[in-house]
Amino acid sequence: MKAQTGILALLVLGGAPAGHAAEGVLRSDVDARKIGLQDQVQLTVTVEGGGSLPDEVPPPAFTNLKLVGGPAVSTQMSFVNGRVSQSRSWTYVLQPLAVGRAEVGPVRAKLGAGEETAPAIPIEVVAGSVKPQAQARRPTDPFGEDPFESFFGRRQTRRVEPRLLVEASPSRQSLYVGEPLRLTYYLYTQATVSDLQFTEAPQYAGFWVEDLERPERPAGEAATVEGVSYRRFPILVKLLFPTRAGRLTIPAATLKIALPRQGFFDNGAVVQRSTRPITVEAKPIPDQPGFSGAVGRFRATAAVDHPTLALGEAATLRFRVEGSGNLKWIDRAPQVSVPGAKVYPPQTKSDLKTEPSGISGSRTWEFVVVPQTTGTVEIPSLAFTYFDPSTERVSRTETAPLPLRVEAGTSAAGVAPALAAPAVVRPGGPLPLRADLDPPSALGVALPGRQMALLAGVVLLLHGGMWSATRLVGWRRSSAGRVAAPRSVRAALRDLERVGRDGMSKEAAAGLIEKTLHDLFGSTDAEESERARSVHRLLEEVQLLRYAPQLGDYSEKVRELAGKASEVVRRWA
Amino acid sequence: MRPRAWAALLLLGLTGLGLPVLAAGTTAERFREANELVRGGDYPKGIALYEELAASGAECGSLYWNWAQAASARGDQGEALWALLRARELDPSDRAVLRDLERLREGTNLDRAEVAPDPLAGLARFARRYRLDAVALVLLLVSLGAHLGLRLWPAARGLGPTAATALVLGLLAAAAPVAGSLAWPTGAVVRRGAPLLDAASPTAEALGTLREGEVVPILETSGDYLRVEDSSGARGWALTRDVRRVTGPYR
Repeated sequence: MKAQTGILALLVLGGAPAGHAAEGVLRSDVDARKIGLQDQVQLTVTVEGGGSLPDEVPPPAFTNLKLVGGPAVSTQMSFVNGRVSQSRSWTYVLQPLAVGRAEVGPVRAKLGAGEETAPAIPIEVVAGSVKPQAQARRPTDPFGEDPFESFFGRRQTRRVEPRLLVEASPSRQSLYVGEPLRLTYYLYTQATVSDLQFTEAPQYAGFWVEDLERPERPAGEAATVEGVSYRRFPILVKLLFPTRAGRLTIPAATLKIALPRQGFFDNGAVVQRSTRPITVEAKPIPDQPGFSGAVGRFRATAAVDHPTLALGEAATLRFRVEGSGNLKWIDRAPQVSVPGAKVYPPQTKSDLKTEPSGISGSRTWEFVVVPQTTGTVEIPSLAFTYFDPSTERVSRTETAPLPLRVEAGTSAAGVAPALAAPAVVRPGGPLPLRADLDPPSALGVALPGRQMALLAGVVLLLHGGMWSATRLVGWRRSSAGRVAAPRSVRAALRDLERVGRDGMSKEAAAGLIEKTLHDLFGSTDAEESERARSVHRLLEEVQLLRYAPQLGDYSEKVRELAGKASEVVRRWA
Repeated sequence: MRPRAWAALLLLGLTGLGLPVLAAGTTAERFREANELVRGGDYPKGIALYEELAASGAECGSLYWNWAQAASARGDQGEALWALLRARELDPSDRAVLRDLERLREGTNLDRAEVAPDPLAGLARFARRYRLDAVALVLLLVSLGAHLGLRLWPAARGLGPTAATALVLGLLAAAAPVAGSLAWPTGAVVRRGAPLLDAASPTAEALGTLREGEVVPILETSGDYLRVEDSSGARGWALTRDVRRVTGPYR
């Protein structure tokens, strides 16, 4: 909206009538061209100019109209850029006399040296009333009515609403899908405008929209609408491309137009004007296989940056399409297949400019081509199809085939192309290939996990089996009355090995043997087995040793008894 | 038996003995031939020969190493990464493979997790690298022997602790390959822009695109399609020509 404000500032400064002020302009205008018999019509005769203005202008002739009020005279003067311009208007109130045709005759006035004439205005009179009632009070006016009206006992001249129009003007109303349509929004004005903005952003359903650059200082031009003279300013220009076929409607756009203050008690005014909806006929474009969707006129070219290169190097193929049309839409790259070379997906570059006549420029697709064999590799002809509205058919533009000479250069062979594979570029030289296949592993093939799990399970089972078997044997022995736990046997044997060591006395040694045998075999007094007899004999010998008088060295005897005890334990425990 | 029958039997025996030797010679020659093609810049033919050798069962680290070099030089980073991963599977202790794999991974902007989606697979490689299967086997046998000795000679010293320690260590060593075998089989994306499809069908629609070089777990197989899960968690089907198996047999 900033740009719009800029435009409007210009309108304020430029002022619509300023261009005519030096010569003088005479206008006559009515507030309605179709009225009811019960309505009144207001006629305004305006004279504008830079010099002196006439004090009065003769009223025109009226046909089927009766003068019921006026004239009310108002004068305006403005100083813009050091130039003075002024306008004076006479307002009459007319009443129709009968149903039918009425007319305000031409107005003539002497302005300067010449005479100006405003054309006659025809008015249609119908029965009843068709004119809306008195307009609602402007909400922006804090007074509502002139506070001095009652004080002075007269009505002051109220602001006469200026003539303002907005219009959306398409450059054409029938076109093909994808063709450009220029839509210009114009402001027609007879007065100075201080601000202008859309109440809502215009909607363009079914169109691709491109904004066009607006001039910094839009030039106004004279225009006549229904016999009324205006200054016309382009306020917004859009470039629209239909995206689908059929009748497309550009809805009405409403603008809020602010008018500057005209006096001390005038706060200015804001009026709204709407454009009319526009209907555009979008014709379909033929759908053919391989058609790119481009509409306009185009030319395709292709080139490679290195027509000769070493094996392993990369060339860049540039496929360029230039012309005027909807090239901005076209993203699909042509299919490039080069026998004997690898082609990488392209990068796209655009150099497009939006102009009032459409979009023009070029789009380029860059492919990296890496030859994989020596010799001549041919890049085939590349085609671009588009719809030409001037001939109303799908056209095709093709490039010439491009030869690519690939030499068996050893320096580059084996080096990956930098664009395609920057990660694995080696500093140069041949590839580090291994000369021979690996010999089979000396350790053989690794055991698969399942087999390993099975093996571990089997081992655990075997361990468990051995342990259980030992337990089972122990239990059987126990039930046969000759049990000793394996742990006890080992402990007993260890104890018996200690007997007689470290200066142990014969009493202590005998006590240890006796305790070991008792711990291991328990009481065997009631038994009549060979085992019990062996244990008893051994215990008797131990007791003899224990209570024997201390008359010599018993160490030999102690070791002998310990050995016997170990044998008994090993045999019977 | 007639002399002719003896001669035929002798010929058959000689042929039977000679065939493996001849086959080995042919495989090595074909490997060298493929290397020459690659050195000369004819990567497609060289890779085709490597592929033929792998399919014939001559898989080894060197074969996949050379394959990776050729694919890399051709610009097929995904295929190069797959070949290096395959080489690592066959010989996890090959430091050159590990180094090149890391370089390629960084070059293709892949995260570590994107080339190693399943930690159990890493455990399996660790077990293979240090031959934990053989270690476990030896330890378990030692534990069995010690236990048996203990039963035979109860008074023998140290057999009990030896059996227990060897059993515990053997079970621990066996746990790594066993746990590793529970890992999902994986595959590497070898084609740029490989689609992830919503069904294992030629008319399936693409759900998205797989990243070239990314390693994905293979959840299911159906004909020419593999059901995979990419690093973002999206599951779908991919063509076997787009995703090649890293683990398991080549075919």
